[in-house]
Amino acid sequence: MIELRDLRKTYTPKGSATVRALDGVSLRIERGELLAIVGASGSGKSTLLNVLGLLDLPTSGGVLYDGRDVTGLSPREQARLRNEKIGFVFQAFHLLPRSTARENVELPLLYSERRSIDSLAERALEIVGLADRAGHRPSELSGGQQQRVAIARALVNEPDLVLADEPTGNLDSRTAGEILELFAKLNAAGRTIVVVTHDAGVAKACGRTVRIEDGRIASDGRA
Amino acid sequence: MRTGRLVLAAFASLRRFKLRSAAMVVGSFVGVAALTLVVSVGGGVERKVLSTVRQIFGERSVLVVAGGSNLLTGPRAGAARLTLEDLEAVAREVPQVEAWDAQQILPAAPIRRAGPSTTGEGGPSATARVVGQTERSPRVWSRTASGGAFFDAAAVSSSARVVVIGETVARELFGSEDPVDSEILVGPVSFRVVGVLERFGTDVHGMDRDDEVVVPLTTAMRRLLNVDTIAGAKLLVRSSARTEAVGREVARVLRERHGLPPGRPDDFMLITDVQVRKMVGNVQRVLFLFLPLAAGVSLLAGGAISAALMLSSVSARVSEIGIRRAVGARPEDIRLQFLLESASAALTGAVAGVAVGAALAELAARRMQLGSVLSVRAVLLGLLASLAVGLAAGVLPARRAAALPPAEALAARG
Repeated sequence: MIELRDLRKTYTPKGSATVRALDGVSLRIERGELLAIVGASGSGKSTLLNVLGLLDLPTSGGVLYDGRDVTGLSPREQARLRNEKIGFVFQAFHLLPRSTARENVELPLLYSERRSIDSLAERALEIVGLADRAGHRPSELSGGQQQRVAIARALVNEPDLVLADEPTGNLDSRTAGEILELFAKLNAAGRTIVVVTHDAGVAKACGRTVRIEDGRIASDGRA
Repeated sequence: MRTGRLVLAAFASLRRFKLRSAAMVVGSFVGVAALTLVVSVGGGVERKVLSTVRQIFGERSVLVVAGGSNLLTGPRAGAARLTLEDLEAVAREVPQVEAWDAQQILPAAPIRRAGPSTTGEGGPSATARVVGQTERSPRVWSRTASGGAFFDAAAVSSSARVVVIGETVARELFGSEDPVDSEILVGPVSFRVVGVLERFGTDVHGMDRDDEVVVPLTTAMRRLLNVDTIAGAKLLVRSSARTEAVGREVARVLRERHGLPPGRPDDFMLITDVQVRKMVGNVQRVLFLFLPLAAGVSLLAGGAISAALMLSSVSARVSEIGIRRAVGARPEDIRLQFLLESASAALTGAVAGVAVGAALAELAARRMQLGSVLSVRAVLLGLLASLAVGLAAGVLPARRAAALPPAEALAARG
């Protein structure tokens, strides 16, 4: 489904030496996989996820969706791809603080080409078990609930791929467990999920673990 | 569909950031209210000035005013005086003068209705301007008697004690009665009312031109003022002639009669339509350039505040922009959102500003007796100007927001 070909990404922060965040990463992700990308902080795993989700472009190399390289697409086409094919879940939840749960979940629909967006947000909130919290603002929800709102937002436009960057990093272990269960359930329903984590417990819950060290793949194993 | 949702989302954003939105709305409100007020009242004043100028001056006339043009020091002592004979000479020697009327004025005189007693004590009284004119006044000044009749040439040559009174004077002295053929006292002199002047209203100076009475010129000179000079005259110029050229001829005749050697300034003043047009132009410049400019500056200041607020809003909402980009917002969607926020805040303020500005304009117009001044032009100008300023204020912030790389925006705090 997705193929990464010899991805390289270098940054040159002002006044310091060039950083090789990705140094030749090649990887195939099949449809329906639940994949964990692990590594120490600074290993390049978040950069990999950003490039995978078209939030960032590689310095060189290709990102192929269903055989088509998408790195050369215009920002407009990339936005459409993100909107229709990819859902994001972030460590810091990244909800709009002044909007309700429903408004947050509806956000991707705002930018979609769909004609009608009625009740889609409610359905997504139902999947994550928060139908009764639709009118609440993030500040009125617990951390676990906020992350579930974010997951509902990632699911609302029915993407093929969900990308999660440390989704349990800000949660206690019990709540983290609930989130992982939710991911497992979504994966069982056929969704491809890629989770970036430095938590061994999270990685264990995934079917496949790719370890990144210094911008390269150090190991790639299935459980 | 999609655009509709984006527009609604922009409004939702305005609601979420209430304080910022309110400041932007107020900025636009003040500017537009000022602009609407100034343009509406300006339009009313212009109409008033033009109609008064037309009433007094007409299209083809030359005004002769006694005394030099040195207004600061007043007429010079010993300057030759303007007389009826001077004007008769001008009319004789300048064939382009078609008709003329001379004037002498008593700025304020006590006027009483003659009572039933022979002394006239006890009748209602008023104070009014007394104007002495000839029988040609109705033609030359385009103002005749609406009730009764204007006095004739015989009345002028015989210094008859007849008077045509203005509406205000008529109301004050006679109420709803018909004043024609009644007796009134102008100062100590008794006059017979022969007519009521056509209504004029207030002139450019706000003076009630119905609060005056007109008597034969010679009567005013001999019986009321005891002078043998006139204050001025108005000449109507034949339609084939140029008023400027006629003005030069008139000046030549008057200088000759007054024995002014070359180099000495005129001891009279001539006003032609060229000068009047210049004066009206000056008024229009103030009304339609300087005042709207001042109002425009306040609108621009509001726009600058909006732009600053939008810019700080973009900085504060970097993370929001990142989220929106991540879930599929195109750069142009982000740009549209910020432009819409800025423009709709400006328009909201503008609508309120137009309403308040128009109300204030009507109020001011009523005080200045300008009639209704609300103009569609002022309203449209206010709305369009604020929309333009609002959009302009949003352009830079919107561009900056749209240019943020999504990964970087997401990494930002806030």
